[in-house]
Amino acid sequence: MAYLFTWPVVLYYMLFRPTLRKRTRHYLDRRFPAHTGLRAFLDSFRLSLSFAKTLVDRATTGVVGPDSMRVRFDTLDEFHKLAAQGKGMILINAHVGCWQTAMSGIHWLQRPVNLLMKREPGDVDRHYHEHRQKDCHYKIIDPEGFLGGAVEIVQALQRGEIVSVMGDRVFGNDKNTLVVSFMGEKAVFPVGAYKIAAATGAPVAVMFSHKTGPDSYAMELARVIRIDCAHGLRLDNLRPYVCEFVRALEEYALRHPYQVYNFHNMWAARK
Amino acid sequence: MTLKEKIKQTLILELNLEDVSQEEIQDDAPLFGEGLGLDSLDAVELVVIVQKHFGVEIQNMEQGQQAFQSINSLSEFIEGRNSQ
Repeated sequence: MAYLFTWPVVLYYMLFRPTLRKRTRHYLDRRFPAHTGLRAFLDSFRLSLSFAKTLVDRATTGVVGPDSMRVRFDTLDEFHKLAAQGKGMILINAHVGCWQTAMSGIHWLQRPVNLLMKREPGDVDRHYHEHRQKDCHYKIIDPEGFLGGAVEIVQALQRGEIVSVMGDRVFGNDKNTLVVSFMGEKAVFPVGAYKIAAATGAPVAVMFSHKTGPDSYAMELARVIRIDCAHGLRLDNLRPYVCEFVRALEEYALRHPYQVYNFHNMWAARK
Repeated sequence: MTLKEKIKQTLILELNLEDVSQEEIQDDAPLFGEGLGLDSLDAVELVVIVQKHFGVEIQNMEQGQQAFQSINSLSEFIEGRNSQ
């Protein structure tokens, strides 16, 4: 029912807020370079509508609880094996699907999840854990805190917990980024997750979610990346791992073109 | 080799501070920001380095704040922990 309201709202924003429509073009122009005019407008509309529905889902999960959405997790066994290694796990997400809703089902892993997360002034929507204050299995690590939460991150991994980071958006120090080809053009990606993995020995699991129905999502373990730190932690030694994540993200964009919600122009901030 | 020298040598090696020599690292200069110029991701490595090479665990933020001010403070922290 709530989805019905998304149509007029999105239409209004598409027609009367061109700046918001423009933000959808960073990704869509690379995903559908041949689409122009009305076709491009419809792409923006479809992507925005899809995003609006995930906002409804996210709010529903937060208010009603994680059981309000069905979350399918096909590779749970593989996940359990990784978690059982006792080195913790770095979970790399991206701004795709609805990671907050999908991760509400991560209690299946029976391990605490630490979200390395910075809120931006422009973030108007609330996250799952912010709706539901009680019984929340997330713990937020603020990367803007002292030492960027370094002590908490290492401690959490050594306790065998999960540390979740976003792999497709650069925050903070530009020193920890690499420029990699993404959808045919150079784009900037953060290397923090791989650096943490190299320092601590934790495996990296690339996990994406996608909406499969009005009240259902699927989680997929897109890649398991193991960092070989024998060559030292120089920035360029991390390039193969970043590329592996980026390839996984490209594959996702091919399969689910209207569920990629990174409205940030990652192609503009080249070094 | 003194503890401070060992700390400097370990940081240069483990953090790939190729352009920095031991003599250039001042004992009282800040490790983060100005001074040695480490950042938050280096801090993750630093927590692991201190544990791995000096057998000392940084257990919480307060300890991290106390230890990671400078080479002097890190040296004092490690000595204090090892003497306990």
